[in-house]
Parts: sequence; structure tokens; C-alpha cells
Amino acid sequence: MLDTLLLVLIALPFIAGLLCLALKNHSARAVVVVLVSVVLMITSIMLLGYGDFKYTLGGQWNELITYLDFALLVYIAWQAFYHRKYHSFYAYSAVIFAIASIVMVYYFDFVMAHGVEVEPTFFADKLSIIMVLIISIVGSLICIFGVPYMKDHEHHLNLEITRQPRFFLYLVLFLGAMNGLVLANNIVWLLFFWEITTLCSFMLIGHDKTEIATVNALRAISMNMLGGVGFTAGVMILFSNTHTLSLIDIINSKHPASLLILPLSLMVFAGLTKAAQVPFQSWLLGAMVAPTPVSALLHSSTMVKAGVYLIVRLAPAYAGTWLSTAVAILGGITFVATSALAVGQSNGKKVLAYSTIANLGLIIACAGINTPLAYAGAIFLIIFHAVSKALLFLCVGTIEHGIGSRDIEDMHGLVDRMPLTAVISVIGMLTMFLPPFGMLIGKWTAMEAAAVQPVLLFLLIIGSAITIVFWLRWAGILMSTSSRPVKRVVENISFLTKTPLVALAALAIILNVAIFNLYNTMIAPLAKVYYAKATETFTQVGNGSLVNTVGAFTLWPIFATVIVVILVSIYAVGKAGKNSVVTAPYMCGETADNNEDRPRFRAIADGWVDYNHSNYYMNKVFGEEVLTNGSNIIAIIGIIVMFVVSYMGLQ
Amino acid sequence: MMVVLAIVLGPIIGGLLTGIDRKITARIQGRFGPPIMQPFYDVFKLIGKEKFINNKVQIVYVITYLFFAMLSLVLFVMGQDLIAIIFVLTVGGGAMVMGALSVRSPYSQVGAQREIMQMLAYDPLLIIAAVGMFMVTGSFKVSDIISYQITHNAPLLYVLPLVFLVLIEVLTIKMRKSPFDISAGQHAHQEIVRGVHTEFSGPYLAMIEVAHWYELMLALGFVALFFATQWYFAVALVVLMYLLEILLDNTTARLTWRWMLKSAWGFGIVLCAINLIAFYFIQA
Repeated sequence: MLDTLLLVLIALPFIAGLLCLALKNHSARAVVVVLVSVVLMITSIMLLGYGDFKYTLGGQWNELITYLDFALLVYIAWQAFYHRKYHSFYAYSAVIFAIASIVMVYYFDFVMAHGVEVEPTFFADKLSIIMVLIISIVGSLICIFGVPYMKDHEHHLNLEITRQPRFFLYLVLFLGAMNGLVLANNIVWLLFFWEITTLCSFMLIGHDKTEIATVNALRAISMNMLGGVGFTAGVMILFSNTHTLSLIDIINSKHPASLLILPLSLMVFAGLTKAAQVPFQSWLLGAMVAPTPVSALLHSSTMVKAGVYLIVRLAPAYAGTWLSTAVAILGGITFVATSALAVGQSNGKKVLAYSTIANLGLIIACAGINTPLAYAGAIFLIIFHAVSKALLFLCVGTIEHGIGSRDIEDMHGLVDRMPLTAVISVIGMLTMFLPPFGMLIGKWTAMEAAAVQPVLLFLLIIGSAITIVFWLRWAGILMSTSSRPVKRVVENISFLTKTPLVALAALAIILNVAIFNLYNTMIAPLAKVYYAKATETFTQVGNGSLVNTVGAFTLWPIFATVIVVILVSIYAVGKAGKNSVVTAPYMCGETADNNEDRPRFRAIADGWVDYNHSNYYMNKVFGEEVLTNGSNIIAIIGIIVMFVVSYMGLQ
Repeated sequence: MMVVLAIVLGPIIGGLLTGIDRKITARIQGRFGPPIMQPFYDVFKLIGKEKFINNKVQIVYVITYLFFAMLSLVLFVMGQDLIAIIFVLTVGGGAMVMGALSVRSPYSQVGAQREIMQMLAYDPLLIIAAVGMFMVTGSFKVSDIISYQITHNAPLLYVLPLVFLVLIEVLTIKMRKSPFDISAGQHAHQEIVRGVHTEFSGPYLAMIEVAHWYELMLALGFVALFFATQWYFAVALVVLMYLLEILLDNTTARLTWRWMLKSAWGFGIVLCAINLIAFYFIQA
């Protein structure tokens, strides 16, 4: 049973990916992708039913992974070298990092730790299972969305030979690598899957083969390979200090913290690069040149989530050290800086990208606070962010294909043109920042957990207030509508586009209703295992509220109010349909024109005057050129401080 | 019991206070002023008016605003978590903004942008005030904050004076009083017609008015938390504070949102930080 589950979750995507590469027929490929996606979803739910496990693979497998790791690193180096003419700095730095990794891995595998057996090879606790569910359900829905999207995408590009086989190879393979990553206990295996995700992201970001796509892909690979070097160095120091390569041993603190702290700081550094934390945010921002399914995948269920997974996974091992404090502050800095940066953007995808980085920062800050309460907050955020952000990226992709723009200012009144997509987008946005939705519960948990660290708390409070700005105004203008009666439009989107959108929107709402169950069955057990020594009492569920030592979030009145609002609204809107007068906007006495598409009013000499309105973006305060350099410098100083305190073994 | 009282008495007291506000304001300006009950007459008159709307979605936003304003007051009297209450308050404010944005009118659009700036200005300060209360009492829950003050006979105002000062600014923004009546105001101080409220009329405007009364009561509840040792002290503080707000409203001119943000974030956050750090050291 377990063999099969693991085989399907990790190996099947590899096989299916290769099949996609081989199949030249679009429909056949579509069938494979949809089929694999469905199988992955079902298998992940079966794994949930199966529960925690440990699973060991023998020595030959370890050797195989070693050789595959070499092959992978060589391929990465070659790919970076091959594209050197696009951006020599990024390309050569990636090559150097890859070669450094090869040398280190060679020394490690054949000199230091030759033939070391690690038991078990794979293990799963509730955190791994949550991650597998996110990867296999959210990720698969994105793959399904990719099928019609890529057809349309290539239609716009007028390609002679389709590049979709290669695209789906890496898209599907990504899911397998991520499943392997979150289930691995042997750190060498984890590192191998880690590097595969780096390669996949490089291939997918550069997929369109335009100059900018290639440059951005090179930037991504050079930053991620830097993280990879840090990770490899961390593994080497870890082994020489403790002679262990087992993740379970590390997080159950079988070794003194003084031996663990330096390797852990290097692994955390790798996590920061992969999670695109400031100052590494530029690779994820550049990644948005890729087709939308790639952005959705990178931002929600894979890649960046690998970074936060590692940091959250290792959190119990560095609890109570200065490293933990440094991690918390670094996360807080990213949260504030990138939230502020999002305010200055009118490019929809860029707003989403900054918001992703900000939320990852929040998750990392939770890992750094390192209490049971904060740990629960981190997991809440991981789950709900994955669903809502995947949904939002797919929505922006659909909107982009529908109106030919990803600029927020072009989305005024979208509800009249693309009603279904607009409403689903607004659902996605509201679930990002309002109660009773999970993201907000996560934020609340984070704040109450941070109450013991005032500096961090200030960062979280400010960042959280800023996020309201960009969500609210975007959601607002999507629903801004013309006052004249519009012809009811039925959106013409394909079944495979609509299904993932509706499924994710439903998931974003249903998960909130099940939040207590989710907490009791999945999150509380984790906190109890990893923070057994914590003095703080654990968050509990009681009387429809989440209760902790310092506060309580009572959710039932909010759910009740939501239901009342819905019922009253249905009644009031129905009634207003009969006895109300629809008018044009008020224009200071001069009647606005209610019969034209563009908004205008009558002015001097009875002539018509067009008018326009747009959001405040406040680029002098929140512009990239104002904020980026400063926040990069602060974050770099933060990372240096993190290494210094770890190196000195301060606790 | 308390919940029913909050739902029923909340808007009645809120309306009366608004009537008193208008009376005092009129006297300050040398007018006779409307009767105290005028706000209620206004609301009843609005309810009876013909329904003019721009689109049907507006109605949903108004209803959301009303019920969530109600909910935030209810949660407060239930003694719930302050941060949770502030988040619930955001829903109402957000609904108002989205309602204003749903109409393609430059006045309500500008009003909405300014309202977002107002939310950006007061939201972090409110949460920091809650954190101050937490640092003193060890809990975010309203019920615990009150019982702490009663058992220790120690009003928060004594240990959090600067935070209270900042709260005055927050309330001025939230109650749409000058100098921060930036997105909409009771007086004709501002040139963007009626800001966020421009495109609402008749019964829908009445609902907004009632929602505002609930929010006023919640704001005054926050003030009362600073002197909750005895109920009459709390009431006295609220009355003083309300008179101060009216005075401010009539003696200051409207400022720009830039100034508001700068003062709220610069002055507000720094003062709060000084207060909390000082408290931390005195306690240690």
C-alpha cells in the first residue's frame, strides 16, 4: 500500500512528464495531464487516510540518487553556460555555484559520508501530509488549467513547432519533485529534490525563449544555486558535527544546539533564497514573464513553498536560539518591505508576486517566533495562502487572455465583461485579508504569538495594515460597474479553465468552514510533538472559537453574520429590482451620460467632457526605486547578523 | 442580554450623541441648531425616500457594512479579543470602500481612495493600542482587560498615557472629524461632494448612518477601556473625550491625506513605541 502511494506521488509525475515529452498529439497530452492530476489528487487524499509513516529504501537507491544528483548539477551548469550570452553575470555565477556544488557533493559523497545509510529514507508527519495535499491538489488543478491555457498561449505566439511537450514535462515533474522533497527524511535526498525544483523553475521561467524570459530564468537559477551551495555546505557541516543525515534526528534535537546551529543557519539561508525573501525577491518577480500556470505553480504550491517548508520544518531544532530571533526579524522585514512595494504597483501579476513574498515572510516570521502558537499560525498561512494565491494567479491569467492586459487600471468594471472570473477573483482577494477567512486567522495567530517580541510585532502590524490597501482597491474596481443596464454576458471559457477556478474558489471557502477540524486533526498534533517542552498552553478549539493563552478568536458570530448578510442581501436586491430607480453617477448637477460606454458629463456650452479616475499608487512613497535598495541593504545586514550569531554559537 | 442591549441601545445612544454633537457644534458656530432628536428624524425620513441606485451590488456592500459594524460592537460587549474586533471592523470599512468603488463616479472613487488611506492610517494604531493593553493586562480579551483593571484598581490611562493620546487621533479619523474628515464628513469642509457616501441615497444612506452610530459606540468603548476601574469613571472619560472631539472638529481645518498618514505613522507609532518601551522598563 505505502509503496504504491509513494510510487504514485513521487515517481508517477516523472514518468508522466516524460510521456508528455514524447507525445506530439495535443489531445493525447491533455488526457495524460488530466489523468495524472486526478490520480495525484486521489492518492494524496489516500495518504491522508494512511497517516504518518516511515519508509526505508536500501543502499543501491542511495547510490542512484548520488549519481543522479551529479548528472543534475552538470546539466544545470551546462544549461546556464549555454545561455551565457543573454546575461553573462547570472550565467557564470550559476555555473560557478553549480561547479562548487559538484565539488562539494563529490567530496561529501565519496570521502566524508561514503555509504552512510539513513533510516528511514522517507517519513511523513502531519506537516508532510499537509504539504503533499497542497502540492497534489492545488498543483494538479494548476496543471489542468495549463492544458487549455497553453494551447491559447501558443496560438497567440504563432509557433511553428509546439513547445508544449517540454512545458508539461517540467510542470508535471515539478509536482513529483516537490512531493519527494516534503517526504524525504534523508537530507541528501531532500537536497536532490531541492535541486530538481531549481532546474524545473529555470526551464519553466525561460520557456517562452524571449530575451527577457531567458535573463529572468538565469537570475532565478543563479540565486537558487547560491542557496543550493549554502544547503550543501550546511549538510556537510551538519554531518561532520553530528554524523547524522536524518531530518527526524535533527528536529527531535537529539544533538546539542551548539553543534546544529551553524548548519541550520546555512539551510535557513537556502530556504530564504528559495522563498524569494528580500534581498532575493527579484528572481520571483522576474518569474512572472513565464506563462500563468508557471507563476501560479511557483507562487502557491511549489518552489517558494519548498523554501518555507524547510524553514518551518527545521524550526523546532533552532527554537530558543538567536538564530530563531534572526529568522523572525528577517521574515518581518520582508513582510513589511514587500507589502509596501505591492502598494506602488498597478501590474496585477506584480501585486500578486509581492504579496506572495510578503506572506512567505510572515510564515518565516512565525517559524522564527517558534512557539506552538506561532507554528500553528505558520501552517494556517501555508495552507490558505496556497489555495487563494493559486486561484488569484489563474484568475489574472484568465483575465489577461480575456482583455489582453494584466494592468489593474484596465480591469475597471471587469464584472460587466467577465462576470464569473471577476467574482471568483474577488472571492480570492477577500479570502486573502478579511475574517473569517483562514489567511486572516493565520495573521491573527501570528500577531498574538508575536506579542512576546515587540519589535517583530510592530513589523507585523504595519505590514498587515498595508496589505489591506492593495487588496481592497483591486477588489473594488473589479466590481465597479456601469449604471446603465448591461447585456448579461456569459463568459466563453472552456471547461478545463473553469473547473480549476471554481474548484479552487470552493476550496478557499470550504476550508474555512472546516477550520476547527483542520486545526484539531492536522495542526494541534504537530505542535504537541515538536513543542512538548513549551510552557505556553496550546491553542484549543472550544465553543466555535480558537482559544490561546492571550486571546480568543470567536468565529461563530462572524459566520452567522455572513449568513445574515447573504440572506438580507438576496432579499434587498430582489426588492430593489422592483421598486428602485437606476441613475447615473452624480456629477455636481451636470447629468452624466448614461448611454455611452465611456464615462462623461455635460459641461461648458453643453459639450460632452470625458472623465477618468484611477487608483492611488503613491509611487513617491511606495515605488520600487524608493524602497527596493533600502530594504535589500537592511535584509543583507540581517542575514549577515544571522550568520554571525550562528557562527559564534550564541544561544 | 448584553448582545441585545448592544444591538438595540447602540444606535439609540449613538444617534443621541450625534444629536448632541450637532447641537453643540451649532452653538459654537453661533447658530441655534437642530433638536437633539434630529439624527433620528433624518434617518426615518431617508428610509421613506425613493430608492435611487447606480447598481444592485451597492446594496450588498451597504448591508455588509451595517451588519459588520453591528457585529464589531456585539463582539466588544461580549468581551472578545480586541485584535479580532479590529479585523471585523475592517470588513465594514472595506465594504464601504468597495461600495464607493463600485460606481464610476470620480467623487466616490476619490472618496474611496482617501478612505483606504484613512484605514491605512488608523488600523495599525488601533492594533498597537490593543497591544499596549495586552502588555499591561496580559490578555487581548476585552473581558480580561476590564477585570484586570477592576481587581488591581489600576486604570490603563495611568500607564498608557501616550497610547491614549494616539487613540484620540485614531478616533478623530474613525469618527470622520476634522482635521481628518478626509474621505467624507458631516460638514461641508471638503470639496469632493460627500466622498465615499456620494453615491448612496435614501434608505441605503440611512443604513450607513446607523452603521456609523454603531462604530461610534465601539470607538467610545475603546476609550472607556482606558479607565475601566469603575463604570462612572469610564463614562466620565468617554464624555470628556467626546467633548474634546467636538471641540477639535470645530477648531481645526481639514488636512491632506499625506499629512494624516505622516502624523499617524510618524507621531502615532513613535509615541506608542516610547510609551510601550517605557512601560517595559518600569515594569522590569
